[in-house]
Amino acid sequence: MAEPFEPKITAFVCNWCTYAGADLTGTSRIKYQSNVRVLRVPCTGRIDYMMVLKALHKGADGIIVSGCHPNDCHYTSGNYHARRRWMVFKKMMEVMGVDMRRITFSWVSAAEGARWAQLVNEVTDQVRALGPYSEFRQIVGAGIE
Amino acid sequence: MEALKQRAIELLEKGEVKAVLGYAKGTGQARRAFFARQPGQVDKLVLDEACTQNLAAYATKHEVKKLGRVAIVAPPATQRALIQLMAERQLRDGDLAILAVDEGAIKELGSAAALEEHLALKAQGLDAKDKTLLAKLDAMSREDRWAYWQNEFSRCMKCYACRNSCPMCYCEHCTMDCNRPQWVPVASHSIGNLEYHMVRTMHLAGRCVECGDCGRACPVGIPVHLLTISAEETVHELFGQRAGAKAKLDYALSTFKTDDKESFIR
Amino acid sequence: MSRIGVFTCHCGENIGATVDCAKVAEMCKDIPGVAYSVDYKYMCSDPGQRMMQEAIKEHKLDGVVVAACSPRMHEPTFRRAVANAGVNPYMCEMANLREHCSWVHEKGEATTHKAADLIRVLVEKIKHNEPLFPIKVPVTRTAMVIGGGVGGIQVALDIANGGHKVVLVEKSPSIGGHMSQLSETFPTLDCSQCILTPRMVEAAQHPNITLMTYSEVEKVDGFIGNFKVTVRKKARKLDEKLCTGCGLCIQKCPNKKISDEFNEGLGTRTAIYVPFPQAVPNKPVIDTLNCTFYKTGKCKVCEKLCPTGAIRFEQEDELVTLDIGAIVLATGFKLMKTDVFPEYGYGKSKDIIDGMQFERLASASGPTSGVMKRPSDGKEPETVVFIACSGSRDRSKGVPYCSKICCMYTAKHAMLYKHKVHSGKAYVFYMDIRAAGKDYDEFVRRAIEEDDVKYIRGRVSKIYEEDGKLVVMGADTLMGGEPVEIRADMVVLATAVQSNEGSEELAQTLHVSYDTYGFFAEAHPKLRPVETNTAGIFLAGACQAPRDIPETVAQASGAAAKVVGLFSNDELTREPIVAVVNRLPAPAYSHCVGCFLCLSACPYQAIEQEEIKSRSGEVIKTLARINPGLCQGCGTCVATCRTKAIDLQGFSNEQIYAELMTL
Repeated sequence: MAEPFEPKITAFVCNWCTYAGADLTGTSRIKYQSNVRVLRVPCTGRIDYMMVLKALHKGADGIIVSGCHPNDCHYTSGNYHARRRWMVFKKMMEVMGVDMRRITFSWVSAAEGARWAQLVNEVTDQVRALGPYSEFRQIVGAGIE
Repeated sequence: MEALKQRAIELLEKGEVKAVLGYAKGTGQARRAFFARQPGQVDKLVLDEACTQNLAAYATKHEVKKLGRVAIVAPPATQRALIQLMAERQLRDGDLAILAVDEGAIKELGSAAALEEHLALKAQGLDAKDKTLLAKLDAMSREDRWAYWQNEFSRCMKCYACRNSCPMCYCEHCTMDCNRPQWVPVASHSIGNLEYHMVRTMHLAGRCVECGDCGRACPVGIPVHLLTISAEETVHELFGQRAGAKAKLDYALSTFKTDDKESFIR
Repeated sequence: MSRIGVFTCHCGENIGATVDCAKVAEMCKDIPGVAYSVDYKYMCSDPGQRMMQEAIKEHKLDGVVVAACSPRMHEPTFRRAVANAGVNPYMCEMANLREHCSWVHEKGEATTHKAADLIRVLVEKIKHNEPLFPIKVPVTRTAMVIGGGVGGIQVALDIANGGHKVVLVEKSPSIGGHMSQLSETFPTLDCSQCILTPRMVEAAQHPNITLMTYSEVEKVDGFIGNFKVTVRKKARKLDEKLCTGCGLCIQKCPNKKISDEFNEGLGTRTAIYVPFPQAVPNKPVIDTLNCTFYKTGKCKVCEKLCPTGAIRFEQEDELVTLDIGAIVLATGFKLMKTDVFPEYGYGKSKDIIDGMQFERLASASGPTSGVMKRPSDGKEPETVVFIACSGSRDRSKGVPYCSKICCMYTAKHAMLYKHKVHSGKAYVFYMDIRAAGKDYDEFVRRAIEEDDVKYIRGRVSKIYEEDGKLVVMGADTLMGGEPVEIRADMVVLATAVQSNEGSEELAQTLHVSYDTYGFFAEAHPKLRPVETNTAGIFLAGACQAPRDIPETVAQASGAAAKVVGLFSNDELTREPIVAVVNRLPAPAYSHCVGCFLCLSACPYQAIEQEEIKSRSGEVIKTLARINPGLCQGCGTCVATCRTKAIDLQGFSNEQIYAELMTL
């Protein structure tokens, strides 16, 4: 009997809202599943789509990209630029046939500790149900000696 | 055609341009880029259905810029590329004499403003064949689309012909050449190919002039132009902006509206 | 090869109870590049820091990962510690083992493994860290205080007395704020205006203070030490230099029936008016919404009568842009209106008033000259019911928080009423009495014991009018929930303290954070209570949370101290977390192709053009350059750059790539 599948979830979060929100989850002692690995950047504006591609390359089964709600960006507009980028990126990925159920974009503020826990749990459960992203893992393996 | 040749000779004889960049006969039915540098070479210029290459790709090259003022034969897609290159500060207004070719008619445009005005009069439409292919892709299930592109990319050998043919891929140092860090694997295996085409598509979203040259340049027949065209169309649908329309930069991905509409961010 | 030290903190039980720290430290020893790994009970303690510094020296470490709490908490602490041991502070990173691991996951193998993973990622990042050095920027030594209530006045005076220029911006025609409306103040019962107006005058006359009343902040650009603030000076329709404040225009204005904001609608004023007699500046304003001239095109009585010819009907708003080094927000609060309580008849009865209206009724300068008269018919109320927690601590009203000042002012109101109407009966319905503060509880006891105010612990479920009385139906929970019915002449609702009108918009203009209720957010609830997360912008008073006068004034002085501290240096040291365009030898000069697609992506207009010229002065290439004084380090341009010519120090492409490759 093989071990049950535990998805690998990579999260890209901004320092001022979602990272702080996740800190609040901790301060409030709200529990969530431990699959997620958080990468901290200053702003969602910094989140290059290359990072998302590399996370998939490295075998992430699910990805969370999260930052400040519109209007709340610490840098005033980084999240608006990010939003446009995601809108185009998402469509491009769909055209390529990537399974976008595995990439979740969200806004989690510094005050939303409970929401962060809920988001991580939802994404983890959803991706666990989807199973490993074998389609992508296959091509990563292909042709590399 | 005769009008074009006549004007080309005039421009060269008067010394207004150092060369006329147009099309000449290539191998078989193909047409190739041709620099007429003497009035006597103008005779080699041809202009017909087969002249599809986007010559704007040459305009940003050092070697061409060094020549001095050049006249360029520009069908609609080339015109769009030229104005976008001006918006992106790769060409200076007035550096080129633009010989705009629209269904046989020739019009000489000397400035970005004239070009912008000229372009505003024309509707931009997609090739019927491309439209069909895009619709077919759109109708596929996600899994089929994935399989379709994986199958197509399996022939890709990363020759970069698509990149080199593209007038908007003028960067001297491409992300693909970036090795600190090596964002995209150099090798032409599945993941390297996929990431290359993803990055190329993202780089052209909001900048693609929809000339289709990348697809024509592909030696193994991958319709890579569909990727950039669909990204460009996405940008147009979402934000109402279009590359190759204005001489002043209006890049969709470095501007925003506070009420940009999406429905997927939780 | 790097020599990285990993220091895993137990944080007492906080991490240690869930994560096997000793095992984590062991596991980290095997990471290539890690030269030293150890765990310790309290890394942030003095011995913890000392141990780390000794290890840095002993093992010649060139990078440090502290695996402890959130970097948002202690990154500065450990970077300082590392710097004191002779290693560049930016060679220290923190793995968040507490907030992101031990506090949110169950004890077990998986959690310990996650802890090690979090460290591993940062070890790989650190291998690509580069020593960074602080950026120096000049400081404009002029502060702006927004809000001219008691808090704003205190901030302005303290900064001005510290020897720096202050611009005090107030949106209404006079400074003074809510405090100028109060009758007497708890717990001393001294007259509010008597203690406030001298301060107002002092602020107006201070050589270092510039008052900008009837003005609002429209736009804020720039950054700490170097803000550019655009203020809209609303048109008073008056030449302030010519006006002597004689008041003739006010006396003669034919339009006298306008509801008076200063008296909370209990009195009237004219269309040209000063809000109250002691207003500072004592210069009138024309209320263009109500002025007969603006409505009908005729009148101009004030213009005809003005002895100095100061009236200016054509005057327009003026936009003034100022160079400002620091900003203090002291914009105060508003009270919830009485019309949101269905159980109290939506405040339709004129005799159901809020606390501020009671202040005006009790004030010697108020519409009744301090004589207790109920608003409906001017009769002296024989029975008054005060209801505390009207809206506060009530989720259904969207105010789960305690408004903090109501317990005290309700006791004060009941006392003031009893002092004015000796035979009257005062009842207070309350949930809890929160009278924590110097002489506060004693004050409430006095109301109960000396002034015979009847305190009833319970809620009022309904108020209705009957035979000219207000029937107050409640329950006394200390008597087993026994129903209580009081036939009152007047009811005073101690309505909830809420964030002021326009707070959210102002927060967005200034790029500061605010909470769900619109109160401005402090940088740290305990340790940085007067700072915002935006450097150079500080907070004072009730714009942050409900506060009383002593707290507001104390916080105001705190904020002023911060500003004076900031102004004590010629230049300011800024974090070197900024974007940089790469530079290469000729002939490339940079990977930047000069497309300037990044230009509009920058929220701070920090991207400039730089021309590379040949010896003969010919422009060879135009590149982007990022002004390190303006850049705030968001990295939006970095993600926009196709050639990866722009990189963000501290969060560079190489660092992030290395982190990703570890996952």
